[in-house]
Amino acid sequence: MNKNTLTINAFSMQDVTIGPKYHITNTSMEIPDHPLFDIDDRLKSIEIKIVDPKDCHFKINTIMDVIPISTKVLGNIGYGMSNTLTGVSVILTGADETGVQLHEFGSSDGYLDEKIKFDTDGTPSSDDKIILIDVTLKSDFEFNRKTCEMVFNSADQFLQPIREELKVMNGRNAAESFEYEDIKHPGKPKVAIVKEVAGQGAMYDNMVFAKEPGGIEKGISIIDMDNMPILLSANEYRDGAIHALV
Amino acid sequence: MGIGPSTKETTMHHFHDPLVRVVASDPDVDFQGVILVGTPQDNYLKNLVGRRTAFWLEAMRTNGAIISADGWGNSDVDFINTMTEIGDKGISIVGLKFIGKQAGFVVESEHTKFVLDINKSKSGTETEIVGDNNLNEKDAHKALGLLKLKMRKDGQVTK
Repeated sequence: MNKNTLTINAFSMQDVTIGPKYHITNTSMEIPDHPLFDIDDRLKSIEIKIVDPKDCHFKINTIMDVIPISTKVLGNIGYGMSNTLTGVSVILTGADETGVQLHEFGSSDGYLDEKIKFDTDGTPSSDDKIILIDVTLKSDFEFNRKTCEMVFNSADQFLQPIREELKVMNGRNAAESFEYEDIKHPGKPKVAIVKEVAGQGAMYDNMVFAKEPGGIEKGISIIDMDNMPILLSANEYRDGAIHALV
Repeated sequence: MGIGPSTKETTMHHFHDPLVRVVASDPDVDFQGVILVGTPQDNYLKNLVGRRTAFWLEAMRTNGAIISADGWGNSDVDFINTMTEIGDKGISIVGLKFIGKQAGFVVESEHTKFVLDINKSKSGTETEIVGDNNLNEKDAHKALGLLKLKMRKDGQVTK
């Protein structure tokens, strides 16, 4: 396998619906409205809704993250092949049962259409369907890194069965396919990017090198690396080497 | 101060990162990669991670770098310190971060004038709207343009 090349097959979801189990075709997906695993003792509930960005004037808890759905088919993050879903993205929101919001600095709870700017690099497209995962903690929770990681991890666990089905889908049936090569330009000035990211505590953290693109499982917190600089290739970056925990 | 809803980079933002997209695909530069560095609480560590970043770039024989951050306030110390460490190695450095009317630098240096403001809101504030003040492709092009000029001025490129 050429470790300089990353192929991303994009499957465009036209229909996203709630059903009894996970089922994905080349253009549609069905997901349950609750996790099919036992949720953590610190949680009261995890509720799933399908939302249309064009019709979303309703109240939500603070937006903890916006997450793409992608999975490794061949190779590791940064090379080989990934299957990715377009037309659908995930918003994770969270609070405790009394309404205490899960955030570090400033909350985005309120009406969804007023609290997010769609069509940016970090937010869903207004043509997407949104899978809204709303996590409610029991009121006696401790606001710390462990609790927040558990919330992110629960969302990740909910998404994993989608990735498992996506993994075995044939790239030839993808709506689009992109090939990214690490191209050198000898003789040109050498340029690097330095990204300074959060690394101090609960909801102020980032995770790298998870098994799945934009995933949590096996990820390493930048705090646990004492915030030391690490080098990522452009392809690792665009293959989801980082999961934000801000 | 920290990272608010309007400047925070979501997992989706990293996945579609406009800065990586723009710089990595420019045929006029030899793109080396992204150094990801955290923002520790402890002052000793703040200085250390900045220094380590500069050592990496020096060993990579980097001519120029763009530093970006999605937080402001306390993390400005890390931001300016890292810029200074990189600049001291003779590497051209420009920055991108949220400033607006709310987040002027808590520390100043010779490098602050090479930091571009990514604010998008009319009010120039943390609007608590997710995605509102994020770095976008236009910011990335501006920073890369500024870096090219700075590299020329600093004698990193011959013509």
